[in-house]
This record gives sequence, C-alpha cells and structure tokens, in this order.
Amino acid sequence: MRIKEHPILGFKPRETIKFTFDGKTYQGLAGDTVASALHAAGVRKLSESIHRKRPRGFYCAIGNCASCNMIVNGAPNVRTCITPLEEGMDVRMQHGKGRVE
Amino acid sequence: MKNKALPNTADVVIIGGGVSGCSIAWNLAKQGQKNIVVIEREYLTSGATGRCGAGVRQQWATKANCILAKQSVEFFEQAQAILEYDGDVEFKQEGYLIVSSTPEETAQFKKNVRLQNSLGIPSKLLTKAEAKQIVPHLNTDVIDAATFCGTDGHLNPFTMTDAYYKAAKRLGVSFYTYTTVEDIDVKNGAIHAVKTNKGTIKTDVVVNAAGGWAKEIGEMAGVDIPVFSENHEILVTEPVEKMQGPMVISFSHNIYCQQTPHGAFIMGRGDKNMPKGHDVSSSWTFLDDMSKTVTTLLPPIGELRVIRQWGGLYNISPDHQPIISDAKDVKGFYMACGFSGHGFMLAPMTGLLLSELILGKTPSLPMEDMALDRFEGKEITEFETSVV
Repeated sequence: MRIKEHPILGFKPRETIKFTFDGKTYQGLAGDTVASALHAAGVRKLSESIHRKRPRGFYCAIGNCASCNMIVNGAPNVRTCITPLEEGMDVRMQHGKGRVE
Repeated sequence: MKNKALPNTADVVIIGGGVSGCSIAWNLAKQGQKNIVVIEREYLTSGATGRCGAGVRQQWATKANCILAKQSVEFFEQAQAILEYDGDVEFKQEGYLIVSSTPEETAQFKKNVRLQNSLGIPSKLLTKAEAKQIVPHLNTDVIDAATFCGTDGHLNPFTMTDAYYKAAKRLGVSFYTYTTVEDIDVKNGAIHAVKTNKGTIKTDVVVNAAGGWAKEIGEMAGVDIPVFSENHEILVTEPVEKMQGPMVISFSHNIYCQQTPHGAFIMGRGDKNMPKGHDVSSSWTFLDDMSKTVTTLLPPIGELRVIRQWGGLYNISPDHQPIISDAKDVKGFYMACGFSGHGFMLAPMTGLLLSELILGKTPSLPMEDMALDRFEGKEITEFETSVV
C-alpha cells in the first residue's frame, strides 16, 4: 500500500531495493525503512509477543516500542521502523527475545 | 495502599519501608509483637532496596558477612512458602562467579574460600578455563582466576519486599507510606515519640531502617552512627535470551553484571571519586566507564542496548559490615544500617536478629561484630574487602 497520487504532492520515481524476508525476496523503494518496505509489500506480522506468541505488527513507527524488532543481517532486536532499507538485507522474524552471538 | 490516619501510639515504630524494615516488621509480628507501625517517606522499595543490583551472595571476606549471608540464603530458599507469598519471589540460584585479575587478588580469594568453606559455604577456586566453562563469553585474557559458589544468585527486590510486606500486614502490622519522620523525642534517655509530617506517634521503641538516611535518623534521637551515604550507579539493558547463568563480579575491574530471569542485564560499578551525600543522579561518565568495563570483561554484552540507568545509596560503615544494634545511650532506639551495599541480601537475618534483640531474646547469632559500640575507641582492623 503506497500513496501514488496526491492533489498537491508529487512523487518522483524511486529506485527499487531488493532484500529478503525469512528467505523470500522482496522489493522496497529508496527511502524506505525495513518496516515500511515490508508493510508496503503486505507483510503485517513483524514479530511475536514474548509469552503468548501473539502477532505484533507496525505500531509506534518511531523506534519507541519493540513491536517491529526483527533480526537484520544477524543482529537481534533491530527496530526495523527506523532502520533504512539497504540492498541485499537479510531480514528475519525474531522468535523470542533475540540472541547475542 | 491507602493511608489511614496515623495512630497516636504504637509499641514499635520502624522507620524505613525497604526490605530491611519490612523484614524486621514481619519478624517482630511473627514472634507475637503487636502494634507495629512502619513509616516510609515514599513508597515501599523506593530507596536502596528498589535500586540495588538484585544479587544474593555468600562469598564474603569477613566471618560476620559470610554467616549472615549464608543463613539469609537458607531463608530465601524457603521464603515463598514461609511467607505464603502469592507471587514468585524470583530466587534463581545460578551462582556468583568472582574473578580476580592478579595473583595477589587470587591469594586473597584463596583465603576467602577457606573462610567460606569453614563456615559451610560451598564456594571453590577455579582456573580461568573452568571459569570460562561456566560463563563462555568471559574474556579470560584479563583475569587470573575465579571463585564460584553455585547457591548464590539473583532475587527480585520488589517481590521479596512485597512478600515481607504482605505477610507482615496479615499479622497486623500497619504501613504508612509518603510519611516523613521529622524528629524523634527522647525523654530521660529513652525513646518517647516519633514526629512525622502526618502526626506524632507515642512509642517506646524506634527502629532505624532508613538506609541512606540512617545517620540523619540517628541524629534526631541524639545517636551518633558512624555511617555515610554514597551514590552507586547502575544500568539495565534490553532483554535477550538467556546467555549467562551467574552474576559475574570483579573488585579490581570494578564491575558486577548479571542477567535477570527476564533476560535483561543489570550491571553497576563504584566510583572512588563519588562525593558523600544523598545525590542519586545518573552520569554520562558512569555510562562510559561501565560500557568500557563490561566490554573488556564480557565482550558480547557490548552488543546490547542500554534501556535505562539510575543511582542508589550505599550506606557505608567503617568496616563495611552492617550495624544491627541497640543504642546504649538511648533506651528503645534500634538500628539496622551501614550495610555498605549489601543490605538486600542480608535482610532475613537483619530482621531475625534485630527482632530478637528488641524482644529481649537470646539472639540466634552472636551480635558483637554488628554492635554500634564496636567502633568506639578502637581502630578498625578487619574490614570487608569484597565490595564493588
């Protein structure tokens, strides 16, 4: 879901960025965060609650809550809503609290 | 906790709603003492208890601390059942790993272990390699050896205090929070009344369990207690899956660091240049020093984000051992203070011993090493060295 037309604002075409989410390839646009790219691609579940494993999605979107914490390039607890998307990023759902390797 | 009007009289007034005050209240009530009032300036655990590192250890360098700690651990193991607590006090016994960084420090640790073993504390000296088996992410390049005691561990100060509070309350103890003690009336060398901002309570017995403010409470009764307070800073990280069982401590690196059952790491260190006083603010220098220390000793912890930092007061006595005592010059004035950073883990014995003293019973342990008058006219020869 992206706003493509607007009565006042214009949107220049942006280059696409490829990344993977749980091994599957996705495309975002330059300027996306990891979470915004996933949201635009229709991914609604970004993490799970710690104890009952209930789905958690895009929530505060400003890096305050832990709802979008994911494993990015192997690092746990990455706040994907404030992490700029980069070409070739390996994004994974985090189950539990994350592990420090 | 809704506050009723303060009573006009009480048999015992305990000043301080930390773990010590709540333990003293419960121990007194359990032995049949009636009309006990606990006065707390803010909320329960708002002082040193709720700001502490949540550790429980028996590996000390003085006999008094070792015995107090060991018998306290024995209580903590049964606390949930004894206090009939409806929650989980979160006592996790996965040990303390205390690392030395020089052969001299190791030599002291050997002495400590001999003392601890002689008192029935199951600590042992470990090589670097053995220490690494217990904490795989330990940087053994910066240590010489270690000691380990598997029955040491973690305990939640909030739930533990709550357990004492609820058990004491069931036995009839009254708690008054957000109530400040302003003065203590002494008549003819004996306690007469406690004046607070909410009213005056006539009483013959006052217990000073005021933590960081113990000296000031002593002054109100005309009792000079040789303690001072000092800010010790601490921080907590984001939670991660379990990766460290025991608390890791180093006196020479100046760090204690443990992973709580929730997954967050708690760590702190002392600052030799900290001025005496009641300031509990946080500093960037602590954050800087703490980060450097932890990444030196436990490198992977450096990957974690800091969630928050805070400070709390150590109430320090001349020999770094507690003062659990009466006051010879003021009848009815008792104190449990000067814990020097380890009052939380000794709370069960603090409560037991002081209640026995107040009730005129023979104490479960000899209390000369804890008496206020041990400092009078004497040079301190033995003092606790195992303090961060």
